[in-house]
Amino acid sequence: MNYFAKMKGGGQSPPKVGSIEVLWSWIGSFLGIAAVSLIHSKMLDQTGLMMIIGSFGASAVLIYGAVRSPLAQPRNLLGGHVLSAIIGVTAFQWLGGDTWPAAAVAVSTSIAVMHLTKTLHPPGGATALIAVIGGESVHNLGYLYVLMPTALGAGVMLAIALIVNNIPKNRRYPEFWS
Amino acid sequence: MKKSSPEECAPLPLEISEEDVIEAMKSIPGYIDITPGDFKEVYQTAYNLAIKRLFNTLTASQIMTESVLSIDQGMDLVEAAGLLAQTRISGAPVVNNEGKIVGIVSEKDFLKEMGVGEKPSFMQIANHCLNNKNCMIGRLHNKTVGDIMTRQPITGTPEMTIGAISALFAEKQINRLPIVDEEGHPVSIVTRTDLAYSFHFCGRRPKP
Repeated sequence: MNYFAKMKGGGQSPPKVGSIEVLWSWIGSFLGIAAVSLIHSKMLDQTGLMMIIGSFGASAVLIYGAVRSPLAQPRNLLGGHVLSAIIGVTAFQWLGGDTWPAAAVAVSTSIAVMHLTKTLHPPGGATALIAVIGGESVHNLGYLYVLMPTALGAGVMLAIALIVNNIPKNRRYPEFWS
Repeated sequence: MKKSSPEECAPLPLEISEEDVIEAMKSIPGYIDITPGDFKEVYQTAYNLAIKRLFNTLTASQIMTESVLSIDQGMDLVEAAGLLAQTRISGAPVVNNEGKIVGIVSEKDFLKEMGVGEKPSFMQIANHCLNNKNCMIGRLHNKTVGDIMTRQPITGTPEMTIGAISALFAEKQINRLPIVDEEGHPVSIVTRTDLAYSFHFCGRRPKP
């Protein structure tokens, strides 16, 4: 196909989901984000630790709003966040003197590694980026960032997804674990 | 002669439209994150692979009519006609004293012998017999199967795939393929009907 013709698209968008699906997506994401932000603000706020990062908002879209997606499965959720967090912290510590190379390397390497390990999870890219541009509070955590907030937060969100997504008759989560 | 491969003779189910995919996606609750176009591509590729697998894995032994009626080459034609009529089959392998295949005999050979051409319609035969005092069917008396059979028949082995068999049917313009063992004894016969069933049900056709 011609290079510019490809930019026209020409495919079709998948159909809109039903209102029941919308409702359960809302309930799941409300509870998932409520859980991590409650833990964050009620238990950890004074300690300098954290439980929530921006990329969890994106994860919520997938694990509560597109539960069938391969990108939303537990392997991708946990693997994508954890690997990206490791890469993000490493990129900041090795290249952090200047923000732009560390940020670019963190995100691009995360995507490559998630692909190679079959753990592609789009919010992982944000997790890696936050490790670089997240400011003092994130940088102070060092590699603890991988465990907390990243792994623990994703784990809490996963638990809520397992509980909520299996309540409706027509929903099932996950499609696969490994 | 034009040879067609399974991939080329794309059967109808390939022609699903994106609208079909969208309708199907609507019937499944939940957000499916694939575009209808991508799904169609996956479906078509998978379908082609399935067809290819069907052509390359199903063999004659899996689709053939198991019992085969073999006719001795010395059999009288009247007797052979009676046998074919009784068993309601239109053709059979012909064997020698040792039971090895030496030919194949079918309705076509009988018609050829009667002198009414190879592919007459029933009305042509009726017309022929009604207008001739000595209907040429009389010619069939005092002859044996060996006299009229098609010699050096095309044969297949039980291991032959249905892809190879259908190619042979098309290439040689034949309707039945005797399947023989290593010694040349007929073990079965694969007909066009067997082949049609195998495409539809992926296996042996039920006994009528």
